[in-house]
Amino acid sequence: MHIKTVGVVGVGTMGQGIAEMLASRGMDVIIIERSEERLTYGKEMIKVSLDKQIEKWALTQSEKKLIMNRIQATTSNERLAECELVIETITEDLDQKKAIFESIDQICSPDVILASNTSTLSLTELASVTKYPDRVIGLHFIYPVSKIDLVEIVRGLKTSDETFAKTKHFVEEVINKKGIMVFESPGFVTTRLICLFINEALHVLEEGVASAEDIDSAMRIGYSFQHGPFEMADRFGLDSVLAALDRMFREYGELKYRPSIVLKKMVRAGHLGAKSGVGFFKYDKDGDRI
Amino acid sequence: MKVLVINAGSSSLKYQLYNMQDESVLASGRVERIGMDSSIVTHEPVDKPEVRNVSEILDHVTAVKRVIDMLTNPEFGAISSLNEIDAVGHRVVHGGEAFSSSVLVTQEVKLEIRRLFDLAPLHNPAHMMGISAVDANLPGIPQAVVFDTAFHQTMPNTSYLYPIPTVLYRRHKIRRYGFHGTSHSYVSAKAANYLQKPLESIKMITCHIGNGASCTAILDGKSFDTSMGMTPLEGLMMGTRSGDMDPAIVPFVMNKEELTLNEVNSMLNKHSGMLAISGISSDMREVTEAMIEGDKNAKLAFDMYAYRVKKYIGAYAAAMNGVDTIVFTAGVGENSVALRKAICEGISFLGIELDEARNGERRKDAREITTDSSRVKVLVVPTNEELLIARDTYNLVKQSETVS
Repeated sequence: MHIKTVGVVGVGTMGQGIAEMLASRGMDVIIIERSEERLTYGKEMIKVSLDKQIEKWALTQSEKKLIMNRIQATTSNERLAECELVIETITEDLDQKKAIFESIDQICSPDVILASNTSTLSLTELASVTKYPDRVIGLHFIYPVSKIDLVEIVRGLKTSDETFAKTKHFVEEVINKKGIMVFESPGFVTTRLICLFINEALHVLEEGVASAEDIDSAMRIGYSFQHGPFEMADRFGLDSVLAALDRMFREYGELKYRPSIVLKKMVRAGHLGAKSGVGFFKYDKDGDRI
Repeated sequence: MKVLVINAGSSSLKYQLYNMQDESVLASGRVERIGMDSSIVTHEPVDKPEVRNVSEILDHVTAVKRVIDMLTNPEFGAISSLNEIDAVGHRVVHGGEAFSSSVLVTQEVKLEIRRLFDLAPLHNPAHMMGISAVDANLPGIPQAVVFDTAFHQTMPNTSYLYPIPTVLYRRHKIRRYGFHGTSHSYVSAKAANYLQKPLESIKMITCHIGNGASCTAILDGKSFDTSMGMTPLEGLMMGTRSGDMDPAIVPFVMNKEELTLNEVNSMLNKHSGMLAISGISSDMREVTEAMIEGDKNAKLAFDMYAYRVKKYIGAYAAAMNGVDTIVFTAGVGENSVALRKAICEGISFLGIELDEARNGERRKDAREITTDSSRVKVLVVPTNEELLIARDTYNLVKQSETVS
């Protein structure tokens, strides 16, 4: 099946990135949000991201227009009937995600692939609320979506070989990213390793071993990371990092996943990182470090 | 046999429908300013009035669809149904070293064209969209591709190699390929014909100056050197492309501005050239108008543009130990009286005497713009890549029919 139209449910940070990346590669994208405000905000943020690329000479005004014209926004799930692939990317809340899957399972014909961008939740559990669990799969993109060419393709217990093959083809041939096969497990490969890395950095900070700035420099320059653990956490969103650690802590029951107290405190204070302007570092409204 | 020729450029798409029995054009047209909100479609059937409309055409797929609609329109179309088209010929910019002549489109050919995307980022993707759109609209029709690089395969290695580690040539085929080959080939033959001399006897410099621009030194009737290189980015300053510059600028800017490969590529291909210097437009007409109105940046862009053409003419005259004929062709070369004047006036030491009246004429045939006493002849020869593409397509399809 040729994938031409893709539905993206939820236009938060990841949804924006996924929609922008798909439209940049020539696909028609239908973005869905609960309210008009959130839709408008999501679209506006995609524009901001494209404008930043124009500033860096990566795009022209007409290419931006072309990309925006491929993105249609709606609050109604019904439009998903036009899609050959739906990617759910709402907040990491199992009950909300289940409700979405139950709804889109009824709207989309049985050969449409239903993917979730979840980084920690169980695909098998999401699939359990659908009539056709064999077509449910995980597509875990990594932030920033347009720059990171890796996707974890996650198989739930009932995901069929056909669904996996079609999804792998889509990832590698259509959007030209490397797709790795991951069997369902909390945090998969990327989230599990990177959140432990961030959590350990937080412990180092708590113990007063080094400053956040210096820890970031050590890892960035010493080991060729693009961002150190704290800027990375700021860019993921500290609430997302906390949610992922909490989830893995519950699932594995191992202390190493227990979120650092500093992280919890910052989330409670609303210091969520780049998106709120303050995390371990400060950011302007375009998400650039001040 | 009827052959449709599609020439998809970076911001334009030209098409012609040929009846190959007598090489007559049944209809032609062009889609201009693709990617802008005021794209212009001009359809010219031979026996009916021209149809022209302005609308928003943002990509090549839509452009090809629009062309097919035009051709089969009951009112102003040239054919009654799609079935009347027997073959489609496409211009393809980059054929690498894999293609030294035109070929019929197969799966392998498509794959090879895709492999060459890196080398011609503005063009090969557009051509592939054209080929795919034809596949979708006219399933099963034979398609041929004619490469811009083929004519330059005669260059000696002193012209086509770069002075960098030779392992890069062996490993990645990094070398000068040159582009606009079909055009340089066509206008050089036409010019020789006009001058009634054998092409082999003329030291010629052909200047194809359109949205993209290149100069070719033609010695013994063959391409000896050309200004575009491994990609169409090298050589002359162009509408949105930088042309020649110090290669050290690339890593320097990437470091200073924290640019990715993709960003720096796009900067040099889409945000440079006349657009960058004038700050107004990539279009020579708009820049010239602004210059006349007194815009300083437009004048600088125009002067730099002319200066860089002049430098290449000088270099190639030295390379061939002389020059007998200079040819201007393509959109800007055929139409910009001001640019031709600026270039020719500055190189009078070579033996060029421009005739201003002749240069100012606007005609559609090959013509001389120098005085009768001028030692070097300067000609304006309208290019006709489409006809060459139609001929190659026709011959390839005929051959394949006799074989099978």
